[in-house]
Amino acid sequence: MEMSLSARAIVPVTITVTGFVVVCCLLLYQAIKQDMIQDTVRHETALAQTVVRSTRYAMLKSDRATVQNIVTTVGSQQDVEQVRIFNKRGVIMFSSRPGELNRQVDRNSEGCIICHGGATPLATMGSMQQARRYQNDRGETVLAITAPIYNESDCFTATCHLHSASQKVLGTLDIGLSQKNLQASLAALRSRMVLFSVMVLFLTVVGVSALLRRSLFQPLQRLTSYALELAAGQGDSEPPELNDELEIIGRTLKELAESSVKNSGKISRP
Amino acid sequence: MKTRSGKAMTKLFHDLPLPETPEGNEQARREAAARVRAYQRRALRGVWYLVAFLGVSLAVQQWFSHLPDFPPSARQLLGLPPSPKMISGLLIVYSFSALILILGRMTTGNGAFSGLPHVGYLVVFYLFYHVAHALDDNFHAVLAAGITILSLESYHVWTWNQERIRQEKQHIIRLDRMREWKKG
Repeated sequence: MEMSLSARAIVPVTITVTGFVVVCCLLLYQAIKQDMIQDTVRHETALAQTVVRSTRYAMLKSDRATVQNIVTTVGSQQDVEQVRIFNKRGVIMFSSRPGELNRQVDRNSEGCIICHGGATPLATMGSMQQARRYQNDRGETVLAITAPIYNESDCFTATCHLHSASQKVLGTLDIGLSQKNLQASLAALRSRMVLFSVMVLFLTVVGVSALLRRSLFQPLQRLTSYALELAAGQGDSEPPELNDELEIIGRTLKELAESSVKNSGKISRP
Repeated sequence: MKTRSGKAMTKLFHDLPLPETPEGNEQARREAAARVRAYQRRALRGVWYLVAFLGVSLAVQQWFSHLPDFPPSARQLLGLPPSPKMISGLLIVYSFSALILILGRMTTGNGAFSGLPHVGYLVVFYLFYHVAHALDDNFHAVLAAGITILSLESYHVWTWNQERIRQEKQHIIRLDRMREWKKG
């Protein structure tokens, strides 16, 4: 299968530019996505710590109504999916959803198994380890953080409480935020990258084609027509105006045709 | 013809003399026809490597997630895997270098083919992403890099061999004309 000169010039450029732009866009998209998720996790961890600190005084005073009020208020915010506080045994003590109060959570469930997967539960973990993702009833992705509530000196020295000093974690706070806005931002980023890739591809192919057509293919076409005219015996026409190298070929073709006519005249002479 | 270098093969073709005897002509014709068949086979090598890479990628996507993780002792011995961002940076550098090298070979008319090493390097990228627990997110980037590099390599090896086939066919025509002229 023979390929035209224009196809030979455009195919490798198209493969190279398209492929490389697609690879870079995919990697860039993943890098941006990871950065955005890490930022969201950091923001959510800070929010979880804010809730833990806000409820600390009420917990020290064993003021359950205030703790529940804080949890309900935070849980009613836009994009907050749920706020729950578990005790050491995994029972939901406070929740933004009243229906799940006093319910025992399975230790092997997602979010619990991260710490309770081994023989001894983990007491500390990084912010990315605390995060988990799941889909809610509406099909939206939710990013949840499970933050431990640590035992501090004023917790086990308080007169009203029974915690021992050896107990490291008193319970956990579980807070989940809807990722609807993050997913929308990522979808917009994907669309923009696809548009950018298509534009780069279009500009490259059209640009290279236009340049080659103007500076190479059209002059070559004129030179080919001229060579065919000479071959047909119309040797008196002048070579077309072309760029430097092609014009030299045109003039040489004319000289060759003229010398060929002269030589054939000499041979035919008796 | 014995070396992998395209330059050496081209030089050999241009140096071929036209044989004087009918037996020599027939021999040269047979050799040229054999070379055409060899070039036709080589022209498709790139496509086979591209198909092989797609097969490996399919296997990676299907089975890598089911592979057991390294035992803790092996992880301790190997140390921490490179971060996904570092692997991605290397993938960009590798893709760029590979494309530049292939384009360079196309420019200089060098017919050397390096499909197998590229398949190997790309599988190593899959492995690194797997060890760094980032294969799901970056699988398509490695796949796109592989398709791009091996497509360009296939295109180069195909056009280079087509050019050699065209030259060999012209050589056969010259041999035929020589034979007819000798007969006449």
